[in-house]
Amino acid sequence: MPGETDRRIITELAARGYNADREAVTLLASEADPDDALERAVEAAPPDAFKITGEHLREVFEADARDSPRDPTAETPDSTSNTDPSISPAELEDRTTDSADTSPSETVGDDPTRTTDERVPTDPEHRFVEIVGDITGQSTGTGEYSDFVTVFRDRYERLAGKLRGRINHRPADAIQTMPGGGDAEMIGMVNDIRSTAGGHWLIELEDTTGVFPCLVMKDREIAELVGEIVYDEVIAVRGTLADDAGILFTDEIFFPDVPHTHQPTTADRHVQAALISDVHVGSQEFAEEAWSRFADWLHTAEAQHVEYLLLAGDMVEGVGVYPNQDEELSIVDIYEQYEAFAEYLKEVPGDLEIVMIPGNHDAVRLAEPQPAFDEELREIMSAHDARITGNPSTVTIEGVSVLMYHGMSLDEIIADLPEEKASYDNPEKAMYHLLKKRHVAPKYGGKMRIAPEEHDYLVIDDVPDVFHTGHVHKLGFGTYHNVTAINSGCWQEQTEFQKSVNIDPDVGYAPIVDLDTLDVTARKFT
Amino acid sequence: MHEEDERYFERIESRLDEAFDRAERARSTGGDPRPEVEIPVAKDMADRVENILGIPGVAERVRELEERMSREEAALALAEDFAEGRVGEYETKDGKIEGAVRTAVALLTEGVVAAPIEGIDRVELLENDDGTDCVRVFYAGPIRSAGGTAQALSVLVADYTRALLGVSEYQARDDEIERYAEEVGLYDKTTGLQYSPKDKETKFIARNCPIMLDGESTGDAEVSGFRDLERVDTNNPRGGMCLVLAEGIALKAPKIQRYTRELDEIDWPWLQDLIDGTIGEGDEVDETDAGDEGDGDETADAEPDEPAGPPRVEPATKFLRDLIAGRPVFSHPSRPGGFRLRYGRARNHGFATGGVHPATMHIVDDFLATGTQIKTERPGKAHGIIPVDTIEGPTVRLANGEVRRIDDAAEALEVQNGVEKIIDAGEYLINFGEFVENNHPLAPASYTFEWWIQEFEDSEANVQALADSPRVDLESPTVEEALDWAVEYNAPLHPNYTHLWHDLSTTEFEALAEAVDEGTVKAGELELTRTQVVREALETLLVEHRQTAETLSIPEWRALVATMGFSEELTREWASLSEEAHAWDGGNNAMRAVAEVAPFTVRERAPTRIGNRMGRPEKSEKRELSPAVHTLFPIGEAGGSQRDVAKAARYAPGMRDTPGEVEVSVGRRECEACGSHTFRGDCPDCGANTFPHYECPDCGTELEPDEAGRVECARCEIEGTSVDRQVLDLDEIYHDALSAIDEREGSFETLKGVKGLTSSHKTPEPMEKGILRAKHGVSAFKDGTVRYDMTDLPVTSVRPEELDVSVEEFRRLGYHEDIEGTPLEHADQLVELKVQDIVLSDGAAEHLLKTADFVDELLEDYYGLDPFYDVSEREELVGELVFGMAPHTSAAVVGRVVGFTSAAVGYAHPYFHASKRRNCDGDEDCVMLLMDGLLNFSKEYLPDKRGGQMDAPLVMSSRIDPAEIDDEAHNMDVVERYPLEFYEATLELADPGEVDIRLAEESVGTADQYRGFAHTHDTSNIALGPDLSAYKTLGSMMEKMDAQLELARKLRAVDETDVAERVIEYHFLPDLIGNLRAFSSQETRCLSCGKKYRRMPLSGECRDCGGTVNLTVHEGSVSKYMDTATRVAEEYGCREYTKQRLKILDRSLESVFENDKNKQSGIADFM
Repeated sequence: MPGETDRRIITELAARGYNADREAVTLLASEADPDDALERAVEAAPPDAFKITGEHLREVFEADARDSPRDPTAETPDSTSNTDPSISPAELEDRTTDSADTSPSETVGDDPTRTTDERVPTDPEHRFVEIVGDITGQSTGTGEYSDFVTVFRDRYERLAGKLRGRINHRPADAIQTMPGGGDAEMIGMVNDIRSTAGGHWLIELEDTTGVFPCLVMKDREIAELVGEIVYDEVIAVRGTLADDAGILFTDEIFFPDVPHTHQPTTADRHVQAALISDVHVGSQEFAEEAWSRFADWLHTAEAQHVEYLLLAGDMVEGVGVYPNQDEELSIVDIYEQYEAFAEYLKEVPGDLEIVMIPGNHDAVRLAEPQPAFDEELREIMSAHDARITGNPSTVTIEGVSVLMYHGMSLDEIIADLPEEKASYDNPEKAMYHLLKKRHVAPKYGGKMRIAPEEHDYLVIDDVPDVFHTGHVHKLGFGTYHNVTAINSGCWQEQTEFQKSVNIDPDVGYAPIVDLDTLDVTARKFT
Repeated sequence: MHEEDERYFERIESRLDEAFDRAERARSTGGDPRPEVEIPVAKDMADRVENILGIPGVAERVRELEERMSREEAALALAEDFAEGRVGEYETKDGKIEGAVRTAVALLTEGVVAAPIEGIDRVELLENDDGTDCVRVFYAGPIRSAGGTAQALSVLVADYTRALLGVSEYQARDDEIERYAEEVGLYDKTTGLQYSPKDKETKFIARNCPIMLDGESTGDAEVSGFRDLERVDTNNPRGGMCLVLAEGIALKAPKIQRYTRELDEIDWPWLQDLIDGTIGEGDEVDETDAGDEGDGDETADAEPDEPAGPPRVEPATKFLRDLIAGRPVFSHPSRPGGFRLRYGRARNHGFATGGVHPATMHIVDDFLATGTQIKTERPGKAHGIIPVDTIEGPTVRLANGEVRRIDDAAEALEVQNGVEKIIDAGEYLINFGEFVENNHPLAPASYTFEWWIQEFEDSEANVQALADSPRVDLESPTVEEALDWAVEYNAPLHPNYTHLWHDLSTTEFEALAEAVDEGTVKAGELELTRTQVVREALETLLVEHRQTAETLSIPEWRALVATMGFSEELTREWASLSEEAHAWDGGNNAMRAVAEVAPFTVRERAPTRIGNRMGRPEKSEKRELSPAVHTLFPIGEAGGSQRDVAKAARYAPGMRDTPGEVEVSVGRRECEACGSHTFRGDCPDCGANTFPHYECPDCGTELEPDEAGRVECARCEIEGTSVDRQVLDLDEIYHDALSAIDEREGSFETLKGVKGLTSSHKTPEPMEKGILRAKHGVSAFKDGTVRYDMTDLPVTSVRPEELDVSVEEFRRLGYHEDIEGTPLEHADQLVELKVQDIVLSDGAAEHLLKTADFVDELLEDYYGLDPFYDVSEREELVGELVFGMAPHTSAAVVGRVVGFTSAAVGYAHPYFHASKRRNCDGDEDCVMLLMDGLLNFSKEYLPDKRGGQMDAPLVMSSRIDPAEIDDEAHNMDVVERYPLEFYEATLELADPGEVDIRLAEESVGTADQYRGFAHTHDTSNIALGPDLSAYKTLGSMMEKMDAQLELARKLRAVDETDVAERVIEYHFLPDLIGNLRAFSSQETRCLSCGKKYRRMPLSGECRDCGGTVNLTVHEGSVSKYMDTATRVAEEYGCREYTKQRLKILDRSLESVFENDKNKQSGIADFM
């Protein structure tokens, strides 16, 4: 479909006598109303131009955006208060990225007695769902050393590809033979980061030819970036070689990142998706009432436009996830847990299009990428004909691509990065870093487990329009370079373990995304 | 002291002197790193302290102070001495404080453990922000071995000395305070602390402590905030500091306060807040208390509100935790059929030991042997198992249905294979002192002869007359006698005829009564109709019987029916049981019923069962480095992976290389006589001794060490070194060594050296020593000694016979009387063991014989002296001296060999073990032959790293002072009989402190302190039952586990499903999950050079050497238990939950290790 739009735009422009570069086409295609945008672009085009460029378009759109109501937070997501979930949960009622959309009367979720306006079954004919990047049934790795090498090389190659445009990469072995004093640039996978005796930072970058140490002086501005670099992500550096050519004094650090110019695709009609995760059926703490309220609300007219339900893992509490878990289970049998989950899923309207991926509590392998549920479990969860895919997967619904990832790496990112860059209270900020690194789980070793496959399924190859994770049981959303990042809350009350580590989960929230505008409204069902 | 004791010590010391003289002569001539023996003799604690510290004058002062005051006060008094320069030759303030702190720690740990030298790195002065000086003490990991109190007091001593010297208090900066909190938390998370202080507490201590607690970094974890602080040298946690702060100051605050109150110079008022927990909110104390009393499964009082049951201790399940495959459970907590608690101390009981009958050892499929460690339900955590054959053995049901008790090991072996069910595991003997040591309330005692006889004595009966009668055996009377006495004298029924009525329900009691009603007596045996309930009732009661398809025959039935209120003619003399009898203990206990119907008093036969499981197997093995090393001589990679010196001597990588020339790091030494330089301990030119020769690594200036032993270049301000990379001609060295001692290559198989030396001076050992070791089949430990490890077990009285020693030999050793005071004439007389005498296992004796041969040949061929031992049979080792030495300590104790045992353990007097700071709950440590230690030990071989001085004999104790040993041994009871009041007190679950039974501590410091260790129970031999536990004789882990589960099926007191669950839960699942996790986050390693990579290199190959890199965790090690675990879960009916966990894991393994597109699901695919 996007291809179609592009072709149409090119044809239309050609008809008006203009050529267009790639960026311009993408920008136009990603506008809510490409035709209108195209008209405005042509109108504003310089009289002598015969080619519409991305740069030109940005000027046009930026001028327009000044009085546009849509998404004022796109570029500076952390600066606006309405995307900042650090306000205390007591004040959290319905949170939204766009206050204009939320009328004060919207306390629907709390009022299940309202039965007058019922949802009318929707027509599945309009729907369009496509899934890519699913490991299920494609797991070819057999746990050999070479499989690991292959997957890391693939990661390096693909992420390096995103940096090549900005840097003139010289391989590590070539830099090793360069004379001292000169400039050098390198793209490498982070092999090591350590602080030197003087408090400076030494980053060891690796490519397929070897490693090279890059020194970041502590008083440089870029030193601040070092705090957000994790092992095994791919970055690029530019700097000057020391006189003995043994080390690179780093001046600039580049991440693969999402281009600032990225423009999301939106749906052609007003349709919504509910993004949830971490249901944890089977746990004694499963928030059954909240779930039922949520399901009831979906049956109301207010939820008329919610045609999609995305579930980002942890359908059930699982068995053996932590020691003596059986003592905290209300359903000890794993199959009965899924059966119960299937029953709860049946409470939601039958015309919903459901997509789900597994999480770390689910009965699939823990190592990522995680293949989807096996036949036995699919059989149990056959209700509503849900689409069951691996973790991670990119699901495109009505043109909007949603990268669904359960979010196990968020724990590591939050632990590794300084509080202000990522925390449990602002899980979306941790997600921004994953987008910036263009990888959902960059750090190898430690708590992250990976299963080596023939390519790295965890690389974020194409920039998604929406990035959906769960796992940390905290609600948070915002936008990063126009990508909407949503970490859904959970449906499990605070557990003993969470109490002991002082995590206060956000229970019973369902972020609802307008697929035509990508506005997010978080609804509360507790 | 008794004259005999004095003579005993003098004998030991004279033999020691003899050895010392010979060794001194040897070392003055040879090529050893130092020309004298390097293990100084310490006659007492004061000596040890001085020797460990190496500060002259300390010992004398300690002796002086010890006369007048407690050890802690002495430590403070010594601090004054240091401050005022009366002790130690320190010029600087920091030096004085360092001396005082080290001495205090040494004193408080009795000069045995390594903490004073290894646990305190150094003391420095540091400038406060206001310009004054304060004190920082650098602690290191091994401070752990000092224990919390000594750790905390070390800070106090530092502060006291500081105050005396007029140095200011430490003023912590805010970031430093925050750093302490983060660091202690991090250390607790990564390494674990016994006590985890709250952040608030840590900060409070950091802010108020007048000494800066500092230390070396331990571990790789790094703090995330508060990094790179100006006054903190590392971003890693400082383990020693964390221990001192948390387990020392925070945990032991009340103890330190006792001393701060008495000292005018120092004032730690903040301790009160710490003790009260009034830092911030007042909830701290509650929380910390809760932490301390975490073992909620400890004994509870018999419910006072519910009198309808007998007194019992609460079952505790902790010992079952972390059950692993192959180590069986012998009894679930407090379960009928499990070990029955009997009180008493056998002669081979000491502290942390438990006695079982040798028949039981065999019946549990030989899983128990002398010295096997078990984890126990009570009173402590673990026991070393000892054989005692004067207690009752197990009761079993054989395949033919016969139920019998087995009190004979030979019989147990005979029936071993025919045992269908182990109905009762037999008695478990625990001494009273064990309850004192663990401060555990007394558990109700089994009714045994020791108790009964005292009650009988209290009755009208003329017990003395009966005892004197040749026709009466009070211990095992006839049933007529027993019933007679019970009725006539109103004494409780003799234990031999008392059954386990408390395990029988009243319903079963009634069913059995009905069966007896209908029973008949045939050929003197009671015959009952066989029904399941009757058969089970008899088993529960432990009534021996035989069975046919229809009948149950009881040979000894008179006491049974009499107790049940029947006449001898099987006439029932009661109609029904009372309400109360039915209600007693919920109807599960027929004791009230018995009380109603029996014509005499019946006591509870075995009210307390002790659950336990196997911990570690016993040990008796030579200690070898891995791989084994014969000579501490560096040969680099030239000897191949075998470190073969002969191969290295021929090593030539290229055509032009001279064979045997290898470059290694060795120390540079200078001859004291002619000044020539060499790596050897003796000068190759003139034969005189050589000493390390220091140079500045920068400017090459020759340097001399200062008094403190530090070597620094004054110009470059860096440390000097004596280590060089040198090219050694191994070919020449090897062949010179061979010819020097007139040996040929053929006289040994392989001579193994080391890759490189880890000591600070890198002094190689004379290769001759290695050649002789190889020849005699012994190998060297890191310090040059030859060692043999054994599990520690105590024994206080022995028979010459059981030690395979003649009575004449025993008399020669100074044993003249047996424990009764009769002259020693026969080999089966029992004599009291002297405190430093030890019994070697057969393996140890053999190994020491080899060592003796090695030492003799070394003396003759290398040192040119007479041999010292000249032994050919192990008997000749009797009377020879050895060193006993435990890990984590730095002091050896001299012991004397008195005999041998086939058990795989080292038996010695409990005081001997305690002087090494060991107890006997499965701990193991080593013996060394005296002369080997004197000749071959050198501090210069010890690794130059933290902990390198541990486990090395830096000093030896020549005689044991009972006041200076681990006081755990003082809680051993030393009586022949426990009084009646004791048994009665057990029924009250009394505190052991309320009972008056003489403990060893009462004689400490008196003339009798080396004697009078009486026992209540004898055993015919200290080595009974199997010599080795089945755990060691069975092959693979799977075999062991199958045997473990098979045994679980047989034991009545064990729930085999629970065992299977636990093995899966605690062993297989963690292994599977852990390895799967390890697999998917693993490091890799170069197969050629061994370099490790956190992540697979992108180049695929080793970045250092280009070699092949491979995984460190492979599929095989991940999935090795999968099939077994699944099989066990099925076979033993594990919970669905467990099976599902296994199934999910199995699928995970499949998903990770199998190619979705190329599945090979089974052989069928290929047919």
